[in-house]
Amino acid sequence: MDRAIVFRAGLAILMLAFLAALFAPFITPYAPDEFSGPPLARPSADHLLGTNDLGQDIFSRLIYGTQATLIIGFLGAFIGVGIGTAVGIVAGYYGGRTDEVISRFIDVLMTIPTFPLLLVFSALLSPGIYVIGLMMGVIGGIHSGRVIRSQVLSLAETNYILGCRALGLSDLSIMLRHILPNALPLIIVKFVFFAQSFMLMGVGLGFLGIGDATVIDWGQMINRAYSSGAFALGLWWWIGPPGLAVTVLSIALAMIGFGLEEQLNPRIRHRNLEVAV
Amino acid sequence: MKTIKNFYFFKRIVYCAFVFLVSMSITFVVLHLMPGDFIESMMPYLAAVHPEFSETFRESFGLNRPITEQYVLYVVNILQGNWGYSFQYAAPVFDIIAEKVVWTLIILLPATVFSALAGVATGAYSGWKDGSKIDISLLNLMVFVGAVPSYWWAIMAILIFSYSLGLFPLGGIVGLDALTTGIDPLDVLHHALLPIIVLTLSSIPGTYYFMRNSMLMTLGEGYILTARAKGVRERDILRHHALKNAMLPMITIVSLQCASMITGSIFIETIFSWPGLGLLTFDALSARDLPLLEGIFLIDTLIVIIANFTADLLYSVADPRVQVGSHG
Repeated sequence: MDRAIVFRAGLAILMLAFLAALFAPFITPYAPDEFSGPPLARPSADHLLGTNDLGQDIFSRLIYGTQATLIIGFLGAFIGVGIGTAVGIVAGYYGGRTDEVISRFIDVLMTIPTFPLLLVFSALLSPGIYVIGLMMGVIGGIHSGRVIRSQVLSLAETNYILGCRALGLSDLSIMLRHILPNALPLIIVKFVFFAQSFMLMGVGLGFLGIGDATVIDWGQMINRAYSSGAFALGLWWWIGPPGLAVTVLSIALAMIGFGLEEQLNPRIRHRNLEVAV
Repeated sequence: MKTIKNFYFFKRIVYCAFVFLVSMSITFVVLHLMPGDFIESMMPYLAAVHPEFSETFRESFGLNRPITEQYVLYVVNILQGNWGYSFQYAAPVFDIIAEKVVWTLIILLPATVFSALAGVATGAYSGWKDGSKIDISLLNLMVFVGAVPSYWWAIMAILIFSYSLGLFPLGGIVGLDALTTGIDPLDVLHHALLPIIVLTLSSIPGTYYFMRNSMLMTLGEGYILTARAKGVRERDILRHHALKNAMLPMITIVSLQCASMITGSIFIETIFSWPGLGLLTFDALSARDLPLLEGIFLIDTLIVIIANFTADLLYSVADPRVQVGSHG
């Protein structure tokens, strides 16, 4: 029961982040790049979260930073789940040799560490936020292929799919109209967890100093504050807000993900309650 | 029987080699995608004034040969330990990495062991007491711990334990005393403790989820029911029947965790100024040192491959049924 509340709380936080990203120009008191006050000012009525070393308003930058963070996370998740779904459905539906080849392929790709590979491509391309999202989706997306495949594998054995085949429906329409909707709950859960981990990766890239320099993102805010020694100087308002923001958003997405997983997959919901001691 | 097992390992080795070949192919393609000409960007003036020199270089580096031949050359070079030259350090990539990888392993290995133990213990307990207050609290706690990015844990740890409480150093591997007294292993341990704790903490939830699920699955098996029907004590069911079987898949899970721990160590080493592969990655990124990054990527892949292979070996020791090669 309290799980439902947790799920809604997560959703509320996410909505808030989306609203902040959409209406950033109306919420923020200053332009994010404007030198609007003295450098390193403490939080005050003028500057809700103080200013950074250049005298930019941290609250405004935080709100604008929501955009890049959400774009990277959700674009990446969208592409990643798209790839994983396509691969998983094809492998699970056709089975046999196709499945064998695709599964081995997924095995190989899953052994290669995602993030270091992402770093290599980032260093090569110096990508913008859309390309970062795209790369994450392409490199990380395959990881969802295996789970979706095993779900589709059991779906493909069901009677109604057999019935569809007997009726002479084309493979494509069976996969799109009959298998995809049934695999959708799992796909949505994967989507949420992808969004979470890609968002963290995106902020991580910014933190490592290879974010898109033309946009404001939380990772770069943390990086600048961290590398300028915000901690040693006790400037908590400089490094705290972006770090807390990404943490809160990540927790919100995790709450949504686990809430959904529990709703959609009752098997993991206290299966053994009756035999537990 | 013996030959089946050998065949299984042969297959695994071929598989490992293939994965590494794919990684090498990726780095090869990335090197060739690099904008501009390598020689001309390394020695712009020389190439302009003496085109014949750049010809000589091309000749000696094999850059004028067909792409397939270059590829074979590249693979052979990597296998021989020639991983190219770092732009930034002007030294062989392999030597730089070999020096740093030890430091990474110093924090990576203990963190792997500790997080595996903690994750298995908490996960097993949670699964066993499924639905209880403690299970729900543990689950919520793990969701929280796993959702907080590792870099934020690291920053918080430094802020609280090093900056405010002064219990641990702010970063690095040894104190300033090392300049006069030499490196003291205890001092290194003191410096390593906080990074190890943070890396452990951020890796526990992954193992925990899987162990909890595995426990739930196992408890649903028929032999548990049989044991209960026989009147075996609950404690003995847990010890002899549930735990052992539920722990089997953990061998694979822990080795899969390795990849995410490497990612975690990039951030944690950077934040703690721990001079391993992670901090090297950060340096290489700041300087856009592509050859070095590729070397790091290759060694990361190698660590993951070795972890997976070790898991396979352990698995076949722990579970004789694996000889058939069912999960390979």
